[in-house]
Amino acid sequence: MKILLVEDNPELTQNVVNYLSGEGILCETAQNLYEAQDKILSFDYDCVLLDLMLPDGNGLELLEIIKSQKIETSVLIISAKDALDDRLRGLDEGADDYLPKPFHLSELLARLKAIFRRSKTGGFDEIVFNEITIEIHQLLAKVNGHPLDLTKKEFDLLLFFITNKNRVLGKQAIAQHLWGDYTDDLANFDFVYQHVKNLRKKITGAGGKDYISTVYGIGYKFDPLVS
Amino acid sequence: MKNNRMQLINIITLWYLGITLAALLVGGFFIYNKLGSEIDFELGMELTREIDAYAERIEKGAPPNRLLYDKLEITEIPFDLPIEELHLRDTLAYHDPMNRNEIQLKASKSYKIDGKHYRISYYNLVVEADDITETVVVTMLSVFAIQLVFIGIFFRFISKKILSPFHKSLDAVQGFSFQKNEPLQFTKNGISEFEKLNEFLERMSKKLLTDYRQIKEFSENLSHEIQTPSAVIRGKLEHLMNGQITGEQADLIHSAYQNNERINRIVRSLGMLAKLENEEFEAPQTLNLSSYIQKTLDGLDELIEMRSIQLSTEIDPMVWLEIHPFVAEVLLTNLIGNAIKHNIDHGSIHIELNPDHLRIENSGKAPKTDPEEFLERFKKGSELPDSIGLGLAIVKQICVNYGFRIFYYYENNMHVIRILFR
Repeated sequence: MKILLVEDNPELTQNVVNYLSGEGILCETAQNLYEAQDKILSFDYDCVLLDLMLPDGNGLELLEIIKSQKIETSVLIISAKDALDDRLRGLDEGADDYLPKPFHLSELLARLKAIFRRSKTGGFDEIVFNEITIEIHQLLAKVNGHPLDLTKKEFDLLLFFITNKNRVLGKQAIAQHLWGDYTDDLANFDFVYQHVKNLRKKITGAGGKDYISTVYGIGYKFDPLVS
Repeated sequence: MKNNRMQLINIITLWYLGITLAALLVGGFFIYNKLGSEIDFELGMELTREIDAYAERIEKGAPPNRLLYDKLEITEIPFDLPIEELHLRDTLAYHDPMNRNEIQLKASKSYKIDGKHYRISYYNLVVEADDITETVVVTMLSVFAIQLVFIGIFFRFISKKILSPFHKSLDAVQGFSFQKNEPLQFTKNGISEFEKLNEFLERMSKKLLTDYRQIKEFSENLSHEIQTPSAVIRGKLEHLMNGQITGEQADLIHSAYQNNERINRIVRSLGMLAKLENEEFEAPQTLNLSSYIQKTLDGLDELIEMRSIQLSTEIDPMVWLEIHPFVAEVLLTNLIGNAIKHNIDHGSIHIELNPDHLRIENSGKAPKTDPEEFLERFKKGSELPDSIGLGLAIVKQICVNYGFRIFYYYENNMHVIRILFR
């Protein structure tokens, strides 16, 4: 997957590039609207990560160019301007998703992968990881071919883990992913712990390996190398 | 809008009528007096002329006793008395045509003619006080009645016309909205007071809009300026987490991470409060609150289950409310989220919704202070270190914005939040 990150803050850019390239995603960057236009017209990208507040204008202008020139790429808006009208405008004008800053990098990756899957396969795809198979469209997860009886949240959690495998996922990141923006302080009420516990039980109960481990009190990690 | 306040035009009309009535009373009194004295004066003059005429006739040799008739009285008085000047007085005298005694004005004066001294008195009927009063009252009442009719009909039409620019200004002010972002604009009306008012309103609306934009930009910028470095910190810490770290380092990272998250939540909550205060969320349509509650509960039901909380609901499925969908979501998530977080294991939650109110009851530790305080910013009821104490402040601000009334109390070992929609 190849993406273009349009973001003027170099530190943030570096964070994102570090995280995404660790997942084998090819990341190109543009620091302003002008540079971004140049790149978007010259190269193909699977997705554009678009900040709205840029030094030389509003990121929505780039979105207009993408739509008017019929450039084939998905657009994920990332913006601190979580003013509601901007959000709605962005989605109205054809952005695929909107992620308010500050976001968890794991959340960014999950959204990016979801957009990618939708655009390439319409969501009808399977993610296979060792003995675990996830049929996203059916909301179905199987271990060794046996369907797991997961709740919607547990399914989301498993997908989130596998998307971000080998990464430490903070409790906040998980809570925000599962319950959305305004409920992230639920992370501190052991709800995340309970969900992870249930998920682990269900996977091991179906004969799967216990891939999920606790990382000091920070969070959890889906470790593919577990023996 | 129906209420007990009076319309301007009614007040003016009432005052006008009151003042007119007072003026008519005072005027009536003066007219009554003036009329009375004027009539007496004229009558006196007339009587004097008559008396003089009779005196002249006596001088010319007419015998006084032949002149006498019912209105005239001529008496001879001793010659050595001094001449009596004219004097007028009321007297009761027999009035022949009416065949009874009537109040009459009597003028008398004495004359010395040919060595004799006559006192000549002449009577005439006076207009009675009752008659004057009647005339004055009838006149004044008809004037008042005519005024009533004129005020009732013409005053209203005219004032409607005169006040129309004022009403237009009122409508414009009522329709003023920050969302439309247009200063008030008025057409010229040629009445200097209203022009001044409109000018002032135009200037004020422009100023309000600039201030509003500045505040809005400030809160937006603030949240942007803090969120960007906070996002950078978060990224760095997530990066650190994934390295080879010891338990001690993990604790440090965790603590830094948590505090950074806290800053984030505070900034976002304050941003939300600022947006609510700036009334950035207009209610574009009515929405079915019942289905929103159901949706919120669906999102959180696993949490309720996890804590073995008993949930009971009485939700009227047809509760429609004029509220912004995002605000409705925040309101319900905050309230129900709180009821779960601050509950006890094996506790209970009861939710009641009808067109009149929303009531959420949950078990939990007894509050140490007046629970209404939890509705203030940064006032927390729980010792849970991670709650920032803004959730209910946001709920309260939402209630203020939409004109709901909120109550928080502790009753029968239950925390109760009640929101009255009207």
